[in-house]
Amino acid sequence: MPEVRLVDLHKEYPGVIAVKNVSITFTTATVTCLLGPSGCGKTTMMRIIAGLEAPTAGDVFFDDDRITELPTRKRRIGMVFQYPVVYRGISVYRNIELPLLEEKLSESERKKRIRQVIDILGLEDSVDKEISQLDAGTRQKVAIARTVARQPAVILFDEPITSVDAEAKVQLKRALKELTRQLRQTIIYVTHDQTEAMTLADQIALMKEGEIVQIDAPRTLYNLPNDVFGGWFLGNPGMNFFEYRVEALDGDSVLKSPLFPRDLKISGLNGQDRITVGIRPEHVRLGRQPSDLAVGGNVRRKFIVVGGYYLVSVELGDKIIKVKVDPVLGRQIENDVWVECPLDWITLFGPDGRRLKAELSLL
Amino acid sequence: MLAIELRSIAKKYGRVEVLRDFDLSVEAGTFTVVFGLPACGKSVLVRLLTGLERPSAGHILLRGNEATRVDSGGRNIGYVPQSFALYPHFSVYNNISYPLDLIKFPKPRIDGAVKQIAEQLKIDHLLGKYPDQLSGGEKQRVALARGVVKQTDIYILDDPLVGLDFKLREQMFDDLKLMQQSLAATFLYTTSDPLEALALADKVAVLDGGRIVEAGDLVALFHRPAHISTMTLLGFPPSNQIGGELFNRADQIWCRTGLFELPVSMAPSAGLPAEIGDVRVVIRPEDIDLNPDQDGLLKCQAQIVLREDLGGEVIVYLEVNKIPLVTVISHAEDHLVSQDTATVGVHPSKVVLFKSDTGQRIGKGVN
Repeated sequence: MPEVRLVDLHKEYPGVIAVKNVSITFTTATVTCLLGPSGCGKTTMMRIIAGLEAPTAGDVFFDDDRITELPTRKRRIGMVFQYPVVYRGISVYRNIELPLLEEKLSESERKKRIRQVIDILGLEDSVDKEISQLDAGTRQKVAIARTVARQPAVILFDEPITSVDAEAKVQLKRALKELTRQLRQTIIYVTHDQTEAMTLADQIALMKEGEIVQIDAPRTLYNLPNDVFGGWFLGNPGMNFFEYRVEALDGDSVLKSPLFPRDLKISGLNGQDRITVGIRPEHVRLGRQPSDLAVGGNVRRKFIVVGGYYLVSVELGDKIIKVKVDPVLGRQIENDVWVECPLDWITLFGPDGRRLKAELSLL
Repeated sequence: MLAIELRSIAKKYGRVEVLRDFDLSVEAGTFTVVFGLPACGKSVLVRLLTGLERPSAGHILLRGNEATRVDSGGRNIGYVPQSFALYPHFSVYNNISYPLDLIKFPKPRIDGAVKQIAEQLKIDHLLGKYPDQLSGGEKQRVALARGVVKQTDIYILDDPLVGLDFKLREQMFDDLKLMQQSLAATFLYTTSDPLEALALADKVAVLDGGRIVEAGDLVALFHRPAHISTMTLLGFPPSNQIGGELFNRADQIWCRTGLFELPVSMAPSAGLPAEIGDVRVVIRPEDIDLNPDQDGLLKCQAQIVLREDLGGEVIVYLEVNKIPLVTVISHAEDHLVSQDTATVGVHPSKVVLFKSDTGQRIGKGVN
C-alpha cells in the first residue's frame, strides 16, 4: 500500500484560499483523520487526493509517483461518502460483488473477498436482503463493504457516519474500528467530529482555515495542543484560557493570578510578556476543604454533563474557571469551593496562539 | 406566579392525536425546558403557545389570564423559531428591529434596543451585513436577538440550537442562560438534546407519547425520576434499559434480569408481583463500575465492544449475553480497563424498576 504525500499543496477559488501550502505524509497502515470545523479545507484536500479537484499549486505523490494530474479512475483509491453509494433493487451480496466483476479476479478470489468484508462489517444477516429493506446505518456498511472489497491502495472516508442516528453511529464506529484493525491500509478520514477522530484515528491532522495546525496521536493532540485552537476545539467544553501580562524578574518572569495561591515563576519565555494560560476543565481539581495548593472560590453555576459528571463554573477573583467533577462531588458542592490548577496540566501560549516551552513553579 | 398554564390541552390533526390531554404550569422567571425525542409534539406545543394554531381542547393561560383564543399579536410574547427564518433582503439591523417596527415602536427607542441586544450577543459589528454574509452561528445569534428584542416577560424558544455545530452550541449555552437571567423573564425552551436540557433548565417537562409524563425541578427529576422516559432520555449517554421479571423468594420480592438477580423493594402502590408481570429495569451509565473492588455490588462479566474517546471521558460500550450496556469512565481510569473484557459492577440501590405498560416507577434494588 502506498503512502500518500502532499507537497506544498495549494488550492484557491475566486476570493477564497481553501488550502494553504500544506505538506503532509499519510503513512501506510495508518488511519489519519483530517479534523476541523466546516470550511477548514479538509474536504477540498481529500478531493484533491482523489483527483476530483486539481490543486492550484503543489503536488500529490503515491509513494514516489507524482500523480497530481492522474485521473481519479487510475489512482487505485476507494471513497466512502456521507450518503451511501449503493444500488437499490439488488441484494447486499450483489452490491458488493458488482464492482469486483470489473476487476480481473478468479471466482474463488472474488468470493473470498466478499466473505471477508461481510464478516468484518457484520453483514451476515443482511446478505440476501435488498437495499430498501436496510436501515441507514446498514446501507452505509454496504457502501463501505463495496469500497473495501476492491482492495484499493488508499481509502478515503468523507464524513461517513454523519447522517445516521446515534445507535447506527455506534455500530458503524465499531465496524470501522474492526475494519481498520484488520486491513491496515492507508486510510484518510475526514470529519468535523472530535469524538469520531479521537476514537478512530492513529493520528489526527487538525485543520483551521486551510492550514494544518498540528499532526499527532489523538491523546498527544488532546493533552498537548500546539495551538490555542487545538485547546479550544477538542474537549467538551475546551480549555479554560486566561490572558496575562507577566512581569520580569531576574531574567525570568512572574505571573500574578487569582488561579494560584502564590505568584508563579516562569522560565524560558525569552522576553515574551503577554501569555495565555490554558487548562482543561477535567484537569482542574476541586475540593470542599482548603489546601496549600488551592485558592478559594465561589460557585456561580453547575450543571450535569456527559456521564453524570458536573461542569462547575467557579469565580476566582475577576476570573471564571470551568471545572469538571465526578457525579458524587458535583452533587455535594455548594457555594464555597477550593480550586487547584496543577502546574503539570497548565499549557502556556504566546500572543500568536502557539504553545510556549516554558517552566513553571510556585514562588 | 405562573407565567404559562396549560389545562387539559389536546391537539388533533384529523384523527391523529399529537398532544393528548395534559396540564403544564410554568413558573414566572424560570428557564423551563420542554424536552422530548424528535417528533414528540414539541413544535406543535410551541405553535399553540405562540397562537399560530388553536388547541383541539383545553385552555392556555398567560400571566393568569385566559389566552386560548387570543391571536399571536395580542399575546405579547417573544419567539425564536427553530430555523433562523431571517429575511434575506433585510440587513441584520432590520431583521432585529422587525418585531419592534411591527408594533410601531418609536424609532429612537428601536435604535437603542437593537444596539443593546446586538452588543449583548456580540453581533454589533454585523448590523450592516445581510444574512447570506453570515456564518451559521452568527445567523442564530441574529435570530435570537430578533426574538428577544421586544421587551416582554415571556419568551418561547423552539429548539433554537438544532443543527448548529457542537462548539457553537457550547458557547450559546452560556449566552442563553445569561440572557434569561439579565432579562429576568420566563423562557420556555424546547429541545431533543439531553445535554442542552441539562445545561439550561431550572425546570424541565418531559414530553413523550403526546403528553407531559413528568415535570418539575431539573436536578430533582434527574436524581429521582418517576417516569421511565425521564430516566432513559434525560442524560447522555441514554440510560441502560433491560427487561426484568419479578418473583418471590423467601418472603422477599426479587427481580430477574439477563445480567443478574436482585432483591427489590416495591412502592406500596405497585401491587403484587404476579399482578405487575414484566418490568423495565434501568441503570444509568455512570452507575456501572468497571472492575469494581467493593463488596455488595451486583457483578457480571462483559465484553467490551467499543471505546469512544471524548477527551476527558471515555464512553465504553459493553455486551453481557448479547445485552448491550454503556458506561462512562474518566480518561484517568481508562488504562485500568483491559481492551476486551471487564467485570461490570452495579450497586443494587442504583437499579430502578418501572412498570412496563405505564412507565411509572415502582421500585428499586436493595442490598
